[in-house]
Amino acid sequence: MKTHELNFDVRVFSLDTVKRALYRFSDKCSFDIQLKDNDITVTLHVKTDEDLTSKIKNEVLDQDLRDTLSKETANIRTLILANAFSNTGLIQ
Amino acid sequence: MSLLGKKFKGIEAFDQAANRTYQLLPSRFAALDDGRYLLSNEVGEYLVVDRKHLESYVKKQVPHDTDFYYDLKSKHFLFDDDSNVAIDLLALKYRTKAQRIAQFTALHLFVVSLRCDYSCQYCQVSRQTDDKVAFDMSEETADKALDLVFRSPSPAIKIEFQGGEPLLNFNLIQYIVKEARWRNLVHQRDLQFVITSNLSFLSDEVLSFCQEHNIQLSTSLDGPESLHNSNRPRPGKNSYQLTVDGIQKAQNFLGRDKIGALMTTTERSLSQVKAIIDTYLENNLDCIFLRPLSPYGFAIKNQQAQKYDVDRWFEFYKEGLDYILEINRQGHTFVEVYTQLIVNKLLSPFGQGYVDLQSPAGAAISAIVYNYDGDVYASDEARMLAEMGDKKFRLGNVHTESYEDIWLSDVLLDTLESSLSESLPMCSDCGFLPYCGTDPVYHYATQGDVVGNKALSGFCSKNMKIFKYVIRLLESDSDARDILLSWVRS
Repeated sequence: MKTHELNFDVRVFSLDTVKRALYRFSDKCSFDIQLKDNDITVTLHVKTDEDLTSKIKNEVLDQDLRDTLSKETANIRTLILANAFSNTGLIQ
Repeated sequence: MSLLGKKFKGIEAFDQAANRTYQLLPSRFAALDDGRYLLSNEVGEYLVVDRKHLESYVKKQVPHDTDFYYDLKSKHFLFDDDSNVAIDLLALKYRTKAQRIAQFTALHLFVVSLRCDYSCQYCQVSRQTDDKVAFDMSEETADKALDLVFRSPSPAIKIEFQGGEPLLNFNLIQYIVKEARWRNLVHQRDLQFVITSNLSFLSDEVLSFCQEHNIQLSTSLDGPESLHNSNRPRPGKNSYQLTVDGIQKAQNFLGRDKIGALMTTTERSLSQVKAIIDTYLENNLDCIFLRPLSPYGFAIKNQQAQKYDVDRWFEFYKEGLDYILEINRQGHTFVEVYTQLIVNKLLSPFGQGYVDLQSPAGAAISAIVYNYDGDVYASDEARMLAEMGDKKFRLGNVHTESYEDIWLSDVLLDTLESSLSESLPMCSDCGFLPYCGTDPVYHYATQGDVVGNKALSGFCSKNMKIFKYVIRLLESDSDARDILLSWVRS
């Protein structure tokens, strides 16, 4: 099993964003995650020969966009769902 | 002139729009292929975009005078000061999508007998025995199950007879059909019946009864003779001949639209998808469902499910779909059912009826199983699992539990709560979520956990591959797009 280390600056990417990205690779790696000052250090234990570091970095970028999208639309999503079920008698 | 001035905004109003900002509407995305993403909103409208466009959308940097802006606006990915009608329209579409939840259980499967003349290697439940008492449903059990059927508020009720081989207990089928129709004089539902049979015992009496009560037949056809006979052995080694004779007889007697067939994929099927499809064409069937082998029961015990993985099955599916599209190009309408379902989901708020692609899962709230002994299961897969000794998804028994006991049981409510894709890891932010679902019984059977890790899930991997392939066809192959659209227009 090979190990690689990746570092993310917590001022740029949240810990939650990094963890969400890593979860998607849990079929191919296991992880140790450490947070020190402004650094998130991820040690990858890779089960295959595949080089996953660039894929993981790209996935972190995607998760960061998802985070923006999700936070920004949370209230509108609630509004749409409330509106959708307002006349159904299913919600009080 | 002054009246016109009140009705229409001046040109300056439109110029100002160029400087306005927009608000994002709820949406998700997923990588489609190298550099392209599928961007989908809460109700499943989608756009295929590259990374640059995706980022500019999320960062609210899309210029107002571009086609991309109008695409985003018209498909409800954003709204601006000009119009906030998007929120009302999205709510309406969401309600349409969610309608099946309020309608509740529509499909009721009655396992009228576990006895069967076949000994299929992939079958989880059938018994080769003459002991009618031990493995046939009784009238008393059927009555109790019918009490539950008509407690469902669903305006449409479909009763499907399964086995074993259900025609081995044809007397009970007759009893249930007549009793259900009698009770329906009061309940007034849209009541339909299906018999799922291997057709070995398809007599004129059975056909006349089907005709009289408008009963649909469904059978199993695995492919050409050698494959079918090997997958579905019976004494006499003539299962293929019996099945195709039965299909023809039913088509002649009841009409072509009254009988359909399903296939099960085994390792031997993987190299002969074209021959399988040809068998369906030769037997005047209009569609095929290229199904993966389920990971339950005897299939696992026989190591069948592990003999081929999702990648190999997907190559089989892709080759089959390409061949089917070619058949359609030559003027013969022939449909692959799973693809049809997905195209319907991609292009409309409809197509939500398939139990495996629902959130929450369709377990018990879309379909429910009454076993021969009165045990009630959340799905047919749950029954198969029980036959292997794990009764995790047994919800009760018609003789001892009430409607409320069964549908409000902790087992069912916990299962449903664990199957809301909107709250599951990896599903909640996946661009394919509006078209997908989750299968708690599958994930329990394969990972020992009803939620499951989707990075390890064959269910997730299979569906992602199919979604991506179908979307690529819709986006980049105009011939294929026309054919796929024709499948969902009718």
